[in-house]
Amino acid sequence: MTAMETMKDARRFVSFVGKEFNHILRDTRTLMVLLVMPVVMIVLFGFALSTEIKDVKVAVYDPSKDAATARLIAQIDASDYFTVTDMLDGEDGALDAFRSNSADIVLVFEDNFYHRAVHDGDGRMQVIVDGSNTNIGSMAVFYVSSIVSSFQKELARETLMDQAGNAGEGASGTSQVNISTSMRMLYNPQMKSAFNFVPGVMGMILMLVCAMMTSVSIVREKERGTMEVLLVSPVKPFSVILAKAIPYFVISAFILMTIICLSVFLIKVPVSGSLMWIVLVSLLFILVSLSIGILISTLVSQQEVAILISGMVLMLPTMLLSGMLFPVESMPRILQWISYCVPAKWYIDSIKVMMIQGLGIKYCLDCVLVLFGFLTVITGLSVFKFKDRL
Amino acid sequence: MYSIRAENLTKSYGGNEALRGVSFEVSPGEIFGIIGPDGAGKTSIFRILATLVVPDGGSASVLGLDVVRDYHEIRRRVGYMPGRFSLYQDLSVEENIRFFATLFGTTLEENYGMVKDIYSYLEPFRKRKAGALSGGMKQKLALSCALIHKPEVLFLDEPTTGVDPVSRKEFWTMLQRLKDQGLSILVSTPYMDEATLCDRIALIRKGVFLDTDSPSEIISKFDLPLLAVSGPHMASLLRDIRQIPQVFSCFAFGDTHHVVMRPSQDSIDAQINFLNTSLHAKGHNDLSIRPIRPNVEDCYMYLDSMEDRL
Repeated sequence: MTAMETMKDARRFVSFVGKEFNHILRDTRTLMVLLVMPVVMIVLFGFALSTEIKDVKVAVYDPSKDAATARLIAQIDASDYFTVTDMLDGEDGALDAFRSNSADIVLVFEDNFYHRAVHDGDGRMQVIVDGSNTNIGSMAVFYVSSIVSSFQKELARETLMDQAGNAGEGASGTSQVNISTSMRMLYNPQMKSAFNFVPGVMGMILMLVCAMMTSVSIVREKERGTMEVLLVSPVKPFSVILAKAIPYFVISAFILMTIICLSVFLIKVPVSGSLMWIVLVSLLFILVSLSIGILISTLVSQQEVAILISGMVLMLPTMLLSGMLFPVESMPRILQWISYCVPAKWYIDSIKVMMIQGLGIKYCLDCVLVLFGFLTVITGLSVFKFKDRL
Repeated sequence: MYSIRAENLTKSYGGNEALRGVSFEVSPGEIFGIIGPDGAGKTSIFRILATLVVPDGGSASVLGLDVVRDYHEIRRRVGYMPGRFSLYQDLSVEENIRFFATLFGTTLEENYGMVKDIYSYLEPFRKRKAGALSGGMKQKLALSCALIHKPEVLFLDEPTTGVDPVSRKEFWTMLQRLKDQGLSILVSTPYMDEATLCDRIALIRKGVFLDTDSPSEIISKFDLPLLAVSGPHMASLLRDIRQIPQVFSCFAFGDTHHVVMRPSQDSIDAQINFLNTSLHAKGHNDLSIRPIRPNVEDCYMYLDSMEDRL
């Protein structure tokens, strides 16, 4: 190939990339969605993560209805953190209260609470928490136990004074008052940290932007008939595809930076691992997603189909099988196997390791290698499937 | 040497035979029209010649290059405007043409002479988005984009479909001018009136050419009496004419019915009289019946019904 030809090829490619950027920048609505969506998601999660709790709704089941329970309930109600909203008729009411969203936590006292607390030294109460809100859950339990423990001391002191007053004998000072609080977590018994959502959101958004947008923009050319003209031209067909991928790579890299900045500065995810490796692995994942988008575009010829495939075939497994929402370990064996085929699972796993657990790259090398494998296989497949005819 | 040569091309999609043996040649500086309804196989011919589709059987060459073997070279030297081609709607007129210029390794300035006649219409709107152009303007822009690299052969698949009559006329004037510059043009159209503007035409039906010749030759081969009939009740008239045994075929043509009579020894006046009396008997009065010269559409319809009766 002569230098002249190479020059022409280069100029052709640059003008191609420029045209793709024009397409993207002029579709301001889509661009805004692409850029704002990650911000909104991260900020939403950020708010959900905020450690301030206020006016947590408390429902109480109190069969004992004695002086101690009444005072404890009043103290809990009086604190800024809690508002007692409901007195339940039975223990079963707890589930209904959660379902109707009229309570975030439910306190259950045992029968004859005061007597057992003071005389048997074993007053039992239970705190049932709606674990689906991980944040309220852990904080609420913490505050309830501190109120209960100060109430316990108060009760112990009074009992001591009573005993001294009544019997007149020198009290030993060793009170038997004891309240044992047991905690039960509904819906999310493992209390997984909400920080886990950040890698999940990263994986989902990058997959969405790269795979869906790339495939849609290539398929759009097929639909409009412009692909036919591009094919009947001296341009190398694969550079058409490459030129499409570059702008989305840039946008994804930008989104990645946004997400990392927001996570670090806004919601204060303790990014304890190496930022460089997090970025590098993310870029690798972006390449994998782009190659998936290209593969989809070689297989379909309608934008709707491309959207459906990237939506159903990519997004759902990404959300459900990547461990973002549900722990994969507790799924049936077959679903675990399927989850191994979801690239986002490996990415999210490696980011969790590096970002949340703060371990080095060598603890997630397996994930990185698998991602490389995906990249090679999928790119190979799409080169193989790509036709420079119709 | 022919610019385009197709020999016995066949192509099927699934069980659907799109082309069933099509052969033709186009000489340099000739406008060759492929005339036929939607689904007749026009686009398949274009895609094979533009190297986008490999034929199942037969062979074809463009500029002496084989469409299967030398497709890279062909792609450099032809201009192709597909039927559904709609440019990049979100790019401006100028951006579109400059993009296609770069695509073919040239610039608008370098080959301005080639597109000047057409592009000059568009220059006042060069900042406008292609999506905001009228149908005729879009067609001109698409043609400019197909011409920007000085192709030697031009493939235009239904370039005037969906374009207003004035723009269609202008478009054909441009094609004539390009032809005068020595380009070979292969054009398809469902509009029979455009057929006469081609040097030679092929009438295509269900993947087969019914006839290939110059429009005047095709018309002169039509030797049956042709009458135009009109009256107050056109719908029932059509039905009643078709029931007369001496009538070969009858089709609605705008505001008249074109009636082809079976060959007979009678004079044309006698046949008109016969038709008038037969229709009068069926209650049709105030009829206007006159002999007319056939056009390409009459020829197409005639050949079409001949095929059906075979």
